[in-house]
Amino acid sequence: MGAMTKEQIAQYKDVYVFAQQVDNELSGIALELTSEATRLAAELDDAKVVAVLLGSDLGSDLTDQLAEYGADRVIVVDDPMLKDYMTEPYTHALASVINEFKPEIMLVGATAIGRDLGPCVSARVATGLTADCTLLEIGDFPLKAIPGKEAEQKHKQLLMTRPAFGGNTIATIACPDNRPQMATVRPGVMQKIEPKKGAQADIIKFNPGFEKNAKYVEIQEIVKNVSDVVDIMDAKILVSGGRGVGEDFTLLEELAEAIGGTVSCSRAVVDSGWKPKDLQVGQTGKTVRPNVYFAIGISGAIQHVAGMEESDIIIAINKDEDAPIFDVADYGIVGDLNKIVPQLTEQIKAAVANK
Amino acid sequence: MDFALTEKHEMARTLFKEFAENEVKPLAQDVDEEERFPVETVEKMAKAGFMGIPIPKEYGGQGCDILTYAMCVEELSKVCGTTGVIVSAHTSLCCDPILTYGTEEQKKKYLPDLAAGKKIGAFGLTEPGAGTDAQGQQTKAVLDGDEWVLNGSKCFITNGSYADVYIVIAVTGKVEKRGRMQKEISAFIVEKGTPGFTFGTKEKKMGIRGSATYELIFQDCRIPKENLLGQKGKGFAVAMHTLDGGRIGIAAQALGLGEGALETTINYVKERKQFGRTISQFQNTQFQLADMATKMQAAQLLVYRAARAKDTQKNYGFEAAQAKLYAAEAAMEVTTKAVQLHGGYGYIREYDVERMMRDAKITEIYEGTSEVQRMVISANLLK
Repeated sequence: MGAMTKEQIAQYKDVYVFAQQVDNELSGIALELTSEATRLAAELDDAKVVAVLLGSDLGSDLTDQLAEYGADRVIVVDDPMLKDYMTEPYTHALASVINEFKPEIMLVGATAIGRDLGPCVSARVATGLTADCTLLEIGDFPLKAIPGKEAEQKHKQLLMTRPAFGGNTIATIACPDNRPQMATVRPGVMQKIEPKKGAQADIIKFNPGFEKNAKYVEIQEIVKNVSDVVDIMDAKILVSGGRGVGEDFTLLEELAEAIGGTVSCSRAVVDSGWKPKDLQVGQTGKTVRPNVYFAIGISGAIQHVAGMEESDIIIAINKDEDAPIFDVADYGIVGDLNKIVPQLTEQIKAAVANK
Repeated sequence: MDFALTEKHEMARTLFKEFAENEVKPLAQDVDEEERFPVETVEKMAKAGFMGIPIPKEYGGQGCDILTYAMCVEELSKVCGTTGVIVSAHTSLCCDPILTYGTEEQKKKYLPDLAAGKKIGAFGLTEPGAGTDAQGQQTKAVLDGDEWVLNGSKCFITNGSYADVYIVIAVTGKVEKRGRMQKEISAFIVEKGTPGFTFGTKEKKMGIRGSATYELIFQDCRIPKENLLGQKGKGFAVAMHTLDGGRIGIAAQALGLGEGALETTINYVKERKQFGRTISQFQNTQFQLADMATKMQAAQLLVYRAARAKDTQKNYGFEAAQAKLYAAEAAMEVTTKAVQLHGGYGYIREYDVERMMRDAKITEIYEGTSEVQRMVISANLLK
């Protein structure tokens, strides 16, 4: 993969997003990305926000929605081949769009689909891809000009920041010599903008033509996962209760449901026979590392803390301000969990509804 | 300096020994196997007066000295470590602080039933976050009108759930000491059955498996104002003084375990034959036994000296720490060697020595680890 010439690079314009849809419904990440694209486009010279919508029998409601969230233009590839996600036809479609329309930036959601699609497309169009970004900025590359080489510093580059090595380091990556600058973006990180009711976008129909080849897979069956039994070691969000909760975990279950989390507990709860042993966090239970750990009515003895202190964010709710759990918590509320948890659940429900 | 015991002590020992052989030994294996608190033994011990040995007669006790009590724990522990610690925790950790720090009303109210064994005693100091560092207490007691309100939990409490009277240590505030805010700690008497006082986990242990080791849970547990034991803010001193005495009880338990293992082994090596002669005829066996017996004799002298010190001195922490440290480590070593001298049979649960070895380990840990004893001893040396 060689570097492009300045002239070649200059042909690439605008900020493109892959508008992921499943069963003809836009995924949340599609709207998060168009919102983010409007922010990035504002910092580039007369750049437009372009959504790329791939699928089959796509309704106009999807394009309208994309327009409301900031898309100036929607490129639609509507073909029976694109009914369900398959690596090859989707890669072919998106790579063809890139080759035809030459976007400066191409954003893809880091969903299961996007993580599969992004690398295939970037390889096919011979450009760089940064995976799983949590922050995107327009800036200079290198960040500080090298003395004596000020003229070589490139401006208005996409600076892509992502956690690496299991979140232990943060890397900021640029793609100065090839276009498009591609990134997959972690869902839930970018803020949606206020939708502009009635906003319209230019619709461009595009068909790259599909020919089945050996890379086409055959989908035998699509299984919708409705299992709500999650191994607490795999859960991203844990709502954990201790003796302070008592026998009735309804409040915690409601909170877990609102935030998409899983209920776990301390040893005291298991010993009291309120919860099964496989939900126990701690030295004699399971060691967990979720993104968010709610410690509710848990005093925070080391025997428990040893099993959860590696969590990214720890939120403690306890009536005792001297409880040791507050030593490890990032956020803490001193008060009655029976009052706090329901309010928290309501607020989260409201926030989710407005997302 | 007279090392001979008085006739009274010898008579008491004979009584304890007979009781241990007849009443305790037959149950020892089952109590261990089933992790069963030997209720029937406790009832028999109560009748025999073992539950109130060093309590003055005026409060319904036997009015004997600490040495007599230590000998009781020693003799019981020779056949069953579980039974030894039941008596020790009850006497040293519950009766003694009430006797030492209690008001006349408190002594009259609690000691007679405890001394008669109608009620069992326990002591709640340890918490999940406060083991050796007993200052790290989290359990709180707040005065609300005429009542203290307790919140928190205690763990690893001997006699838990079977005991009726609990000495509980809790934080009652903060005080400034040498420019630093420190917790103010006080001691309380809490009775089983008080609303808000429940029992949590029963621990499954390596040894002393019949001894009930429970978590105590206090959730807005209200006790009368007059259940404060000693002065408010002096709870740490109450706890430390209590543990000084308790260490004599545990030292006696360790002593009994080691002596019991030694006696059992002496009998075994005289019977067991290999290479055409008893294994007692091998010099290795003889030397091992010589070392074991010498260690236990040294431990006994230390334990008895500590018991004497508690009777005759104001401060006996130094003697108690030395006795407990040495006796516990000697017990661990002697029981381990006892298993070795039994060979493969020593590793089988049908023989008593493996139980003694499992029981011995805890004596190096509870009522102050061996490391804590070394801290106490060296602090005394470097005063």
